[in-house]
Amino acid sequence: MTDIRTGISRRGLLAGGAAGAAFMGPWTHNRVYAQATDKPIKIGITSDASGQYANSGASDRRGMMMAIAEANERGGVLGRRIETVHLDTETTPATGSRVAERLITREECGFLIGAVSSGVANAISQVAQKYGTIYLNTNSSSPTESGENCHRVKFVWDGNGTNFAKATVKTAIEARGKRWMLLTNDYVWGHNTAASTKALLAEFGGEAMDEILVPQGTRDFSAALLSIQQAKPDVVAAAIGGDDQKVLRQQVAQLGMGDSPAWINNQQDWPDVYGLPLDNLFGVFGTTWYYKLDLPGVADFVQRYQAMYPDTSMRVPGNVFYNGYMATRELLRAVERAGTTNNIAVIKELEGLRMPAAERMQHHDAYIDPNTHQVQQTIYLATANVGTQDPDDMFEILSWSDPDAVRDLDAAAKCTLEPYEATPTYEV
Amino acid sequence: MTLLLPHILNGLTLGLLFAMIALGFTLIVGVMETINLAHGSLFALGAYAAATILSPAILGDTAFAAWWGTLPLGTRYALALVVGPAVAALAGIVLELCLRRTYGKAPLYGLLLTFGAALVIEEAIRIAWGSGEQFLQVPAVINGPMFMLGLIYAKYKLFAAGFAILAIFAVWLFLERTPYGAVIKAGAHDSEMVRALGYDIGRLRMLVFALGAGLAGLAGVVMAPIWGLRPHIGIDVVIPAFLIIVVGGVGSFWGAVVSAILVGLAVGISGAYAPAWSMMSMYILLVLVVGLRARGLFGRKSQLEL
Repeated sequence: MTDIRTGISRRGLLAGGAAGAAFMGPWTHNRVYAQATDKPIKIGITSDASGQYANSGASDRRGMMMAIAEANERGGVLGRRIETVHLDTETTPATGSRVAERLITREECGFLIGAVSSGVANAISQVAQKYGTIYLNTNSSSPTESGENCHRVKFVWDGNGTNFAKATVKTAIEARGKRWMLLTNDYVWGHNTAASTKALLAEFGGEAMDEILVPQGTRDFSAALLSIQQAKPDVVAAAIGGDDQKVLRQQVAQLGMGDSPAWINNQQDWPDVYGLPLDNLFGVFGTTWYYKLDLPGVADFVQRYQAMYPDTSMRVPGNVFYNGYMATRELLRAVERAGTTNNIAVIKELEGLRMPAAERMQHHDAYIDPNTHQVQQTIYLATANVGTQDPDDMFEILSWSDPDAVRDLDAAAKCTLEPYEATPTYEV
Repeated sequence: MTLLLPHILNGLTLGLLFAMIALGFTLIVGVMETINLAHGSLFALGAYAAATILSPAILGDTAFAAWWGTLPLGTRYALALVVGPAVAALAGIVLELCLRRTYGKAPLYGLLLTFGAALVIEEAIRIAWGSGEQFLQVPAVINGPMFMLGLIYAKYKLFAAGFAILAIFAVWLFLERTPYGAVIKAGAHDSEMVRALGYDIGRLRMLVFALGAGLAGLAGVVMAPIWGLRPHIGIDVVIPAFLIIVVGGVGSFWGAVVSAILVGLAVGISGAYAPAWSMMSMYILLVLVVGLRARGLFGRKSQLEL
């Protein structure tokens, strides 16, 4: 139908309007997605459902969903229900960018949560910063995430490679020897974790004999393992993640190389090892949480997990679930405290936030570093729990470090957060 | 040389394993001219079926599972080597029945159908067995380390390489020394003539597809203790398998075997001296071979080729 007075068709008007909206669109500063205060708050879930971190991504997502379900049971946040939209980031940075763009501009999500791969997290956070959308990097642990790739809108909830290396390197040099080899996944997390390990080796008198870079997606580690045998190091520091790590563990176990040389696995994500035989779980490794920590609240948390996910093959929650849950819970609390969904107000609520140990079910209080946006938290060292009959109780916790003792000072030196004024503001 | 020799041996072993992975793929491409993108998912399906045979825990807390668990691991492993390929072969038969409507049409139809089938099988695995990592037990006699030239090798990997040699020769004998093999090859060469001689070409295609799928399943059972087992493992399989048949020459049995060994050597040796390039090395090999000889090492000359 054409309007006789103006000569503009309704279709033309709609198309023009859409083009105008697209041009002026939601990426202008100071946008408001919804005026109605009873409209649900939409959260975009950016976890991997396929690729190298598919399994961890699922666990991460379960953690977020439990925190959101609990908030909704209490009546939501600011009296509004929380809704979620999940898109698979495919453990691929390019997909991460596309997903973030879509969740923000088309789905009108006010917050983004989720990551296991640092490459994906970095890609998402660049898009999120462009729009000012708060993004919680729940489980990726490259030091760059709170270092050179930090952003005003991004908050990093996992311990990073440097935190874990600091917890292990000095002790391992004293206990097992100075000659180290590094086995490194050839991507951002691996590189940065290896760089931290090398710096700590230099600091504590160790020697990095060689570094073997392993491409992502490697399914045969025999060449690397032969090279390690030929070099005869005292310690191998492995920064291999996801499916690659599962394959590595299986092949090291088949060779009986789990005890000699000594293995330091920077961080061990629960979904990567759950259900494997204990001889695949060799060496010493770091984690941020374990379901058998003898702390108040842990047993109840496990019961809530089991009640919500009775059918999941992973019968107990691990560190990835924990990080997903804690990040989401604290975001929702911050929105409630701020009394608004305005991103700058919520960011200010999160910056410097102190979280009591009892609430986080860890041994030390944690806090969000206002200069890097990384959660500084207790770092645990663990090994295989060989004396157990319980198939779920796979870790033996060896020690735990105070957050300040393992703080990543390099990341803090490299991080420059964008000023508030340069961060687009919005309210959902 | 002492440093290089173990890596050459490792590369040869790896190449034999790659050859076993590519065996079913090359059979289906060679005889039916269908690129089966579900090859990796059939590999996974065979391995998951084997895991069920090997780990009674998967069967639940039943009296049968308890009895099953009392059987020697060697017996269960031998059974898994039969059941895994059989399950994959059955799935292959179903897939071939679906594929029939694409025969005589543009190759894209078959490609899309097998791609869709790969996704369906992967999801079915996820529903049936969960998305977590599974572990395939192997008998103690072929498990653990062994010492050679002052270095440690995994017994199982050497067993798998030996098994791959057996599988390669068994398939070769079947194709070259049995009347069934003769009919299959004749069907690939001139299906109209084979039909005119009274053979059921539909049944022949089904047999070939079942055999190719069964070989994918067999490779899954043998490879899972080395690569681990997860629902999306198929993607780790289908890419090298495709690359191997292109390098070897599409449809050439021995081309695939030689190509697989070259790929294994490239990955093994680059893994020792330039590990960051170990995955890339197989693609460099592909570019080199296809750049110099477009039909691959042993591929048949095209009528369009000068």
